[in-house]
Amino acid sequence: MYSILKPCKTTAAFEAIPKEHFSLDFDRCEESLGKVCTIITNARFLLIVHDKCEVSIHNDGRLILKTDSENLAAEQAARIAGWLEGSSAIRKPRDRRGPATGILRTGK
Amino acid sequence: MAKLVSLISGGIDSPVAAYLMLHQGVEIIAVHMDNRPFTDEKNLHKAMNLIRHLQHLTQRPIKTYVVPHGPNHIAFARNCERHLHCLFCRRMMYRIAERIAEKEGAVGILTGESLGQVASQTLQNLMVENLVIRIPVVRPLIGMDKVEIIDIARRIGTYEISTLPGLCCTIVPKKPATAARAGDILGEEQKLDLRVLIEKSLEGMYVLDPEAL
Repeated sequence: MYSILKPCKTTAAFEAIPKEHFSLDFDRCEESLGKVCTIITNARFLLIVHDKCEVSIHNDGRLILKTDSENLAAEQAARIAGWLEGSSAIRKPRDRRGPATGILRTGK
Repeated sequence: MAKLVSLISGGIDSPVAAYLMLHQGVEIIAVHMDNRPFTDEKNLHKAMNLIRHLQHLTQRPIKTYVVPHGPNHIAFARNCERHLHCLFCRRMMYRIAERIAEKEGAVGILTGESLGQVASQTLQNLMVENLVIRIPVVRPLIGMDKVEIIDIARRIGTYEISTLPGLCCTIVPKKPATAARAGDILGEEQKLDLRVLIEKSLEGMYVLDPEAL
C-alpha cells in the first residue's frame, strides 16, 4: 500500500507515500483505527493516532510517522496499511462521491 | 525600557528578529505557541534552546511563556475553510500575544515574518492579520531575503539550533490562501467562540525557564 518511506525534510519524522491515489473517510477511519490504536485527534482533514509511535494521517493517505527509527516507521506504516485495507475508510478515485449506499444521488 | 512580546517558533527567522531588537536595547518577553499534536516536542526544546542562547548572547534574562495552540488548530480545522487555516492560526497568535503584552506592559508584538518567506506571508495576508489587534507588530526582517537572515543566524549562533530536527506543522494546507479577504476570514471565524478559545489558551499558558530544560 505504501511504496516510499522517506525522511521528512526536517529529519524529525518519516513520510510514507501511498502507491495509489485514494482518499480517506476520516469518520470511518477513526471508527476503525479507534479499535486498534489511540486516536489523538480527528481534525477533519488530518487524523492523528498513536500506536507504536505517533502518526499523522492525511486524507490523501500520506502518513507522517513521528519517530527517528526507520524500522519502526516501516513497521508502523505496514500496521496502518493493514488496518486501513481491512476497513471501509478508503475511497478510490472513482468512488469520490462517497461509499456506495444503494441510494441514488440526484443533482439540484 | 521598551518591551515587546516576541513570538519564537524554533525556526530560523524569529530568533534573528528577537536578537536584532535585543541588540537595540528592547526588552523581550518570549512566547512559544505550542502546536502539538501537529508538531512534536522537539520544536518546544528548540525554541527553549534558542531563547537560552539569546539570553547568554545578550546577557539579559528573557521571560518565556508557552501557550497551547493545538486545540485552536483543531477548532479551526473542524469548523472553518481549510485554505485559510494559516490566517486563523496567525490571527489567534496575535490576539493571544496582545493579551500577554497587556499583562506584561509591552508595547507591541515582534515576529520573524518576511515577505514571501512562506506562501502565506504576503502583504495582503499580513494586513488581514494586523486587523485583530490594536498594538503594532514589529517585523525587523520584513524586507530581507532568506540568505541575509541565515547569514545573521549563523553569525549569532542560532542557525545550528534552528536547523536541528523538528517536525514542521502538519496541519498547514497544501495551498494556503495568499490574498485573503478580511470579510471571508471574519465570516469563518464567526463559526467559533473565539473568546472561549483565547481564554482557554491563556488558562493553559505557563512560564518556562529556558535554563531548566
